[in-house]
Amino acid sequence: MKRTTSVLVNGIFFLHVLLLFLVVFEDRVQLPIGLHVVGRMHVLLLHLPIGFICFAVLALFIQHQFKSKPFQRLFHFTLLLASLSAMVTAMAGFFLAHSGDYDAEQIQLHQRSGLAVSLLAYGLLLINTYQVQQNLIRLGSGVTFILLLVAGHSGATLTHGENFIWEPVRKQEPLTAATVYQAAIEPVLEKKCFSCHNESKAKGKLVMTSPERFRQGGEQGKAWIAGNPDSSRMIQYIHLPTDHDHHMPPEGKPQLTEAEVLLLEAWIRSGANFQLRWTELPETDSLRRLAEATFTIKKTTTYSFDEVPAEVIAKLNTPYCSVFPLYQGSPALQADFFLPESFDRNSLAALRPIREQLVVMNLNKMPLSGEDVTLLSQFENLESLNLNMTGITDVALPSLAALSKLKSLALSGNPVSHDAVVQLLASLNLTKIYLWNTAVTQSEATTLCQQFPDTEIVHVLFTDQTTQVLSKPILVNEGVLKPGEEIQLKHPMPGAVIRYSLDGSEPDSIQGYEYQAPIPVQESVVLKSRACREGWYCSPVLETTIFVAGIKPTQATLLTAPDKKYRGEGASSLIDGRKGFTDILNEPSWLGYRENPFEAMLEFKPAAEIKKVVLSYANNHGSYLMPPATVEVWAGSGPEKLKLITTKKVDQPSGYEMQRLKFVSLDLQPGTYGYIKVVARPVARLPEWHSGKGQKGWLFIDELFFY
Amino acid sequence: MSKEFLEQRLHITRRHFLGKLGLGLGSVALGSLLIPDLFTAPESLQQPIGLPHFAPKAKRIIYLFQNGAPSQLESFDYKPLLNKMAGEELPASVRMGQRLTGMTSGQAKFPLVGSYFKFNQYGKSGAWVSELFPNIAKIADDICFVKSMHTEAINHDPALTFMQTGAQQGNRPSMGAWMSYGLGSENKNLPAFCVLLSRGRGNGQGVYSKLWTNGFLDSVHQGVQFSSSEERVLYLKDPEGRDRADRRRMLDQLTALNELNYQEFGDPEIQTRIQQYEMAYRMQTTVPDLTDLSKESDSIIKMYGADCLVPGTYAANCLLARKLSEAGVRFVQLYHQGWDQHGNMVGEMPLQAQDVDRATAALVMDLKQRGLLDETLVIWGGEFGRTNYCQGDLSKENYGRDHHPRSYTIWMAGGGVKPGITYGETDEFGYNIVRDPVHVNDFHATILHLMGLHHEQLTYKHLGRRYRLTDVAGKVVDGIIA
Repeated sequence: MKRTTSVLVNGIFFLHVLLLFLVVFEDRVQLPIGLHVVGRMHVLLLHLPIGFICFAVLALFIQHQFKSKPFQRLFHFTLLLASLSAMVTAMAGFFLAHSGDYDAEQIQLHQRSGLAVSLLAYGLLLINTYQVQQNLIRLGSGVTFILLLVAGHSGATLTHGENFIWEPVRKQEPLTAATVYQAAIEPVLEKKCFSCHNESKAKGKLVMTSPERFRQGGEQGKAWIAGNPDSSRMIQYIHLPTDHDHHMPPEGKPQLTEAEVLLLEAWIRSGANFQLRWTELPETDSLRRLAEATFTIKKTTTYSFDEVPAEVIAKLNTPYCSVFPLYQGSPALQADFFLPESFDRNSLAALRPIREQLVVMNLNKMPLSGEDVTLLSQFENLESLNLNMTGITDVALPSLAALSKLKSLALSGNPVSHDAVVQLLASLNLTKIYLWNTAVTQSEATTLCQQFPDTEIVHVLFTDQTTQVLSKPILVNEGVLKPGEEIQLKHPMPGAVIRYSLDGSEPDSIQGYEYQAPIPVQESVVLKSRACREGWYCSPVLETTIFVAGIKPTQATLLTAPDKKYRGEGASSLIDGRKGFTDILNEPSWLGYRENPFEAMLEFKPAAEIKKVVLSYANNHGSYLMPPATVEVWAGSGPEKLKLITTKKVDQPSGYEMQRLKFVSLDLQPGTYGYIKVVARPVARLPEWHSGKGQKGWLFIDELFFY
Repeated sequence: MSKEFLEQRLHITRRHFLGKLGLGLGSVALGSLLIPDLFTAPESLQQPIGLPHFAPKAKRIIYLFQNGAPSQLESFDYKPLLNKMAGEELPASVRMGQRLTGMTSGQAKFPLVGSYFKFNQYGKSGAWVSELFPNIAKIADDICFVKSMHTEAINHDPALTFMQTGAQQGNRPSMGAWMSYGLGSENKNLPAFCVLLSRGRGNGQGVYSKLWTNGFLDSVHQGVQFSSSEERVLYLKDPEGRDRADRRRMLDQLTALNELNYQEFGDPEIQTRIQQYEMAYRMQTTVPDLTDLSKESDSIIKMYGADCLVPGTYAANCLLARKLSEAGVRFVQLYHQGWDQHGNMVGEMPLQAQDVDRATAALVMDLKQRGLLDETLVIWGGEFGRTNYCQGDLSKENYGRDHHPRSYTIWMAGGGVKPGITYGETDEFGYNIVRDPVHVNDFHATILHLMGLHHEQLTYKHLGRRYRLTDVAGKVVDGIIA
């Protein structure tokens, strides 16, 4: 027994040291989850020290009833248990304080007194062990008992709140947190003022807990002047220096935060009204703003209907109708419909089981019949309804008047007219209505706005009547045309007319040919086309070079190497029938030449009759791509028997042009040739107007055509 | 007797103590190996997937991404001081050691240059908009300008990746993938995340498919890229001679085979593949109607501009975006390339602005007219801003600007955002932020918040830790939420 006792006493000492250490370094302590559980046991454990300490104190009163020695041993044992249980309780209490959401200020008194109880119990134990005077023990016990009461009461207040014991007999005010005072002002006063200014303790004879007495004021006078916070005594006292006698709350007590002061001032400025409701304050009101910043006024609307079980919702979901809650845990549901073809009589009727819970419905583009709209009017809790392009008419509109909770209604794209809409707006209390593309005219919409100032009426927003420019025609067959293939043009705008030219002239609404059918071409041409339509400006000109495939050589060889970076696919690039893009030059269609001239040998087996040679190149002045300076065509029946047939000096541009595919066309004297050599020289010096003047130009060739 | 036993037991040697300690700790470790969650916090962070966490303000997003970084100084951030001080050197007190890109690090001087385009104030809000965007200026009262965006990335690839996936390193899910993961698609016949690309006429930078990737999420959440040709979704039509019933039978058989395979291998990609086939089957009915532009009314065509009928243009993409969003697609993202004006600002910026101005304003108006703007969040912006000093030669005719991550402007409309305000401010040099900075993580957190999701709670466990779009940062910007 003695051994155990000494072990326990030492253990208690050790644990006290640990506890004090934890308390001192409270901020740095991080509690493992397991100890949170121990912390929660504090509520259970605290009964033990209360019991033991009370018993110890009571035992002192009846001490003389017992023989000294047994009593002493029992008393000592009680103190041991009291100290041990107080210690464990305090430790658990520390864990609980650290893990829970307890306010650090509120908990201070309880924490300190609890710790003091534990320490005093231990001290008492030690005193008793060393048999010091009885009076000291009695005094010690008394102090411990008093501290126990303090700790107990403050702890109980933490858990159950102030006035827990007296609550049943207090006057019950109907709980309507819808008033500004109750939601925002009272909590502030309760935290910082009520403790001294209540019915039982009224400092300065000011009682703040009851509105009537609050309004009466205290011994210095009224607490406020409605509408004038700066002259209100309450506010003046708040703004006094902290050490001033009258500064409120008094020095040493929890002070008001800046936000709370502003809140009180705003409330007084708005008339210090105890009955004012939130709904009466506009959203921009400063009092409302301040309160919203300090307190999270729950803006989530509460619904009065029950939740629908998840299985019911799951069954109602089809690929054409989505039903889901507005958010997790919300009883309110939304239903969206898709695919007009699958909408039939039963689609809406199927939602009857959730009639009460549907708050948002989206019927955009669904073909609604008269019965559907009547059915719709039974969904009494609808707040937002989208009926765009459902075909709803003036006849069906009045049925919607039954939806008393409706706030937002979209009627765009329906043949509804002014009178029916007016009737509907008068019977409902809508915040938003959408009337674009309806039979309501612009002027009627304006009068509606004036008639119903609380409703946002959205009508046609785009009123710009300026004529616009059409988009360019689209070339359908973009590649190299096969012989006999025709040029196809089209334009996405219905009713647009395409005008074109093949000779380089600019087409417009009167010049050029009108495109009626695909255009036949025999040889490569420059096509210019634009689109025109009544009420629109003609589009910009689409300029494209159309290439027609000619006689294909049997073999092609490059006699000079292209630049390392732009080798394309070698000689086959020249006869693959693929057009290159002028803005993507690293592409296999292109052969780039700068240092060397371009020389290629083409073989025709059997020898073919060739009248024309076309060399296609890229014009991209910004990237230094220029037309070739000269092009030569040599021809013969064998690679050694070539004769220069024709040379052409190509016209060079005089300024920056749009990047484009261009071609050089050379006519040959008619003859049958087995071999043709084409030589093209890149520009040796870029012209004066070019930003790289004097430098060598590039020649990019993608294709050779023979006709 | 017991005393002796007690005495004996209390005499523990160091050897015994350490031995017993090792055994004790070892058994604890074994416990955590057998029960992995033994020492972890409760899964309070896990919320069921598929619904917003709280009442959302926006149900869908259309993100008009301007690729290449449009210059904020030529569009929405008016800095007259730069015009006054044009040609003067950028003060070191303003630059404060901001790193330079490789493109301007060789420059000896950094002359300030103001916008060569005029600015004016528009609407009741008095928002400043340059003359290049007359149509966006007309809807200024519906827009919330955020002028204090900032990022750390200074080049396109990391900045784009950061803006779209929440981290400069790649392979993380993109914004749309997170939305698809967290909320799914309203319309089961369309994908939750669609991507539309268009090329501009200015200096372009590439876009990469990692910007709409699903990262480590299920590949079902990948962005579906529509083609820029007339057939916007390829191979959607049934071949000649086959009808839908045939297709259905074929798919059923295919699903059965895939299921067999799944039972054997358990590869989750098989399930994804099955789901994608089903989605494609349903898209056969929904997509042709959406991509058929021939039925659009004249007023719509006039509003977006004639280009809206030409597939592959920004205007056509805007119109398609409205139709997709109207049909319930959760996240539609457009990329318009060509905004990287390192040089030739005077030539290229008006062309780029012309491409987007009309169609963007039309999109916002179109949504508003149909009553969809309140639940659709429209975002317009790039990946970073442009410098207030000139890159290359500064002449009376032309100038260029380099990349500037420290401040840039984006704007948002609809979907629970406060209309007609400007949030955040840059200094008069247009270089640093002086008020209310919004980091990319904050931007993501706010967007998730508008969609009804706690950005810290939409997580996915991968490689041992939980990832989220905002990674380890991000604060919701309350100032722009209505």
